[in-house]
Amino acid sequence: MAMIPDYGLWLLGVVTFLSCLALPVPASLLMIGGGAFAAAGDFALTSISGVAYLGAVAGDQTGFAIGQRGSRLFAGIRTTSGKRAELLARAEHFFDKWGGPGVFLSRWLVSPLGPYINFIGGAARLNWLKFTAWGIAGEAVWVGLYTGLGYTFSGQIAMVADIAANISGLLAALAGAGALGWLVFRPHGPPRA
Amino acid sequence: MMARLRASFARHPVLGSGFLLALGLVVFFAARSVAALVFWADPAHRDQPIEGWMTPRYVVQSWQLPPEVMTEILNAGPMPDRRRTLGEIAEDQGITLNDLATRITAATDAHRAASK
Repeated sequence: MAMIPDYGLWLLGVVTFLSCLALPVPASLLMIGGGAFAAAGDFALTSISGVAYLGAVAGDQTGFAIGQRGSRLFAGIRTTSGKRAELLARAEHFFDKWGGPGVFLSRWLVSPLGPYINFIGGAARLNWLKFTAWGIAGEAVWVGLYTGLGYTFSGQIAMVADIAANISGLLAALAGAGALGWLVFRPHGPPRA
Repeated sequence: MMARLRASFARHPVLGSGFLLALGLVVFFAARSVAALVFWADPAHRDQPIEGWMTPRYVVQSWQLPPEVMTEILNAGPMPDRRRTLGEIAEDQGITLNDLATRITAATDAHRAASK
């Protein structure tokens, strides 16, 4: 937390950027802290959230691009195994149907899943415009939510950060269990199109 | 029903294990969320102790002090340079952070007693 007054705003942008690539950096905590510093008058709330937002949007785009590159490595798998082909088809179908709202919600409601959605979305050839439009809307909610929490509860950021981290972990685990359960246990049969 | 679940699991062992792991995480985070809510429901846990990364303004804001109380404590003129942390200020004044924290807590208590 001492890093915010020392290194200033850019650190916050770098951290939100890295967090979108699944690197273990405390982005939520720093945004809550940034909001609290803004409430104290040490920084402007607009610059805190603006920098965090730019970092997050840039991180999403980078993760998506990495997924697109990586998918070429897997291109050979598709035809070799019936089971994998079936799973890939299901995952792509899942993305076609739920990709947009999924990207939106994985920015903030189940944010621990966000970076993986970036990679998978890029790999599963999710439409870039759709990804970007839902993504920038979702990141606005994410940044607004966490800096707003810090701003509002500036005296209790340890409390807010602790509760937010656990509840967001819970929601992400629920969403992960739901998606995996759907992939594994959905009834088989001829595809209904 | 069970037979069908087992068949699905046998068909996708990796994803199935991932599913069970996710279920485990659900239980884990549910327990931690409850523990966090219970812990923070106790007001005694909410007073945030002074730490080196905090700035004077941060303490003024979070402890709801009038800024004059803080300037008096820091016995500087106006509020010191923005974004200087208490750790740095203590170092400037040649005292430990602990001494500074004690001074702040004492002045806060005095201010709160006086304004009652």
